[in-house]
Amino acid sequence: MEAKFLISGDTAISVQMGDEISLEVNQKVRGLMLDLTKKPIDGVTEMVPTYASLMVHYRPQVIRFGELKAEIEGRLGSLEGVKEEGGIVKEVPICYGGELGPDLEDCARFEDVSVKEFIRMHSEHEYYTYMLGFAPGHAYAARFEEPFHFKRRESPRVKIAGQSIVAQLNLSNLIPFPQPCGWNIVGGTPLTICNYTKKDPFLVHAGEWIKYVPVNQREYEKIRADVLKGTYQVRTYKKEGGVK
Amino acid sequence: MGIVIENPGILTTVQDEGRFGYQQFGVSPAGSMDARSFRIANILAGNERGEGALEMTFQGAAIRFEEENIVAITGADMSPNIDGEPAPMYQAVKIPAGALLSFGMTNGNGCRAYLAFAGGLDIRPVMGSKSTLMRNELGGMDGRKLLKGDRIGFTDAKSSLPNMYLRRLTPETFPKKELTLRVVRGPQDCEFTEEECRNFFWYGAKITNEFDRMGCRLEREEPLRHIGDGNIITDGISFGSIQVPPNGQPIIMLADRQSTGGYTKIGSVISVDLPKLVQSMAGYKVRFIEVGIELAQELYVRQEKEFDGLEKRLNTRV
Repeated sequence: MEAKFLISGDTAISVQMGDEISLEVNQKVRGLMLDLTKKPIDGVTEMVPTYASLMVHYRPQVIRFGELKAEIEGRLGSLEGVKEEGGIVKEVPICYGGELGPDLEDCARFEDVSVKEFIRMHSEHEYYTYMLGFAPGHAYAARFEEPFHFKRRESPRVKIAGQSIVAQLNLSNLIPFPQPCGWNIVGGTPLTICNYTKKDPFLVHAGEWIKYVPVNQREYEKIRADVLKGTYQVRTYKKEGGVK
Repeated sequence: MGIVIENPGILTTVQDEGRFGYQQFGVSPAGSMDARSFRIANILAGNERGEGALEMTFQGAAIRFEEENIVAITGADMSPNIDGEPAPMYQAVKIPAGALLSFGMTNGNGCRAYLAFAGGLDIRPVMGSKSTLMRNELGGMDGRKLLKGDRIGFTDAKSSLPNMYLRRLTPETFPKKELTLRVVRGPQDCEFTEEECRNFFWYGAKITNEFDRMGCRLEREEPLRHIGDGNIITDGISFGSIQVPPNGQPIIMLADRQSTGGYTKIGSVISVDLPKLVQSMAGYKVRFIEVGIELAQELYVRQEKEFDGLEKRLNTRV
């Protein structure tokens, strides 16, 4: 699909790079963002990547719609593949079931597998973070293997706990703060997903990968204590083969 | 030393131009709802454009000054007074130490007032901004609205400003009962038939009471019909984006908007018309007029030049 330049008011332009949710389209979005970060256009104030679009906020007193569109169009022809993060994987400990993951057993039953097998399916693969949105640090992530079949719950919950990990189909999101949510909660992480007092407040960034690491309740408590003390180091590794 | 809040009013928060650069991490920009009134208040008070000020909603605060300073009040008319004597709006005013600056209910001309303090407020910026985002307990005064007993210091209180006699403007008049907003189509106007787009502009809508810093929900007699189901692949949202969820009733996204969303957006209210909207109240009738992006940006730039001219006339630092 040819990129589309959609007007989003007089101070933003939405550059739509595709019309599907896929790694390929999202990598194009990230590629454009990387290019505009490396060689900034005067007047651009902020960029917001989503699944298939890059929203570019700008100041019309510096650059007008037509000029900005032409400038971005010129960049699209010569985008290199994204090499920025080189496929960084962040390990996110998760304690499945119990109070932290009240829907775990229902989900396993729906998939017609044992809880153990369900946990394997959920935690064995790496998840790509398509975007952050909805709340500070709220990650929309997906794996590309063994998708589940269940979707949202029939009736959404008014409030779910922060640090919850929710799932549907091949998606699994990190919930930073208490919020309403219609997804099934499979577990909770002892990590703080967004901490305003840190220099980089966000546990994961768009374009990074997440690997869930099952921990039991005792390990969960131990990690949580270290996180609160500020001594916990999030483990990261390079994705094998880099970004596809 | 600075101010003490004796009565916070209904909803008084610290705001600046917004928190930018963090929408990619899911952080709403927040910032002043009426960017024009906010900007004028700071210029009159001799401040840099992005300095934090108080935004008061419907009913203003009562504020004790522990230290003398110059202030400017703009936006909605909440009958401000200093120790019972009427205080002028759209003008730099000196408030003596010990005085009480208090506001009442809006008299119907607007619903959000701005109070800027010369030299600025001693509020620690979070992610580069003093703006309060209450939904995520972020920024401003501990991420919340002001409460009785809150103390905020002045950064650099002034007893005089240059060109004091020039620091007065004609107060603005905001819409009453009806307003017309100019709209640029997109990004998803093609999710509607051409006829339905015409209907959007032909028939007005009513502002409902679901109207807060995040958005303004409208009610149309005939809900808008999408070609599809009204959902899109989630993309970015800007200030003034008009979302049309599957129920066909538009929501105009405002300062505390989410950075991204999955509903179709038929158009966006142009920047220079947003102050009219955010100063309106539930029950007002809204009509939309389509304009092109060129005109919208021409008006935007013209307003910026107006601010720059005012800034230069009053605040040129020698």
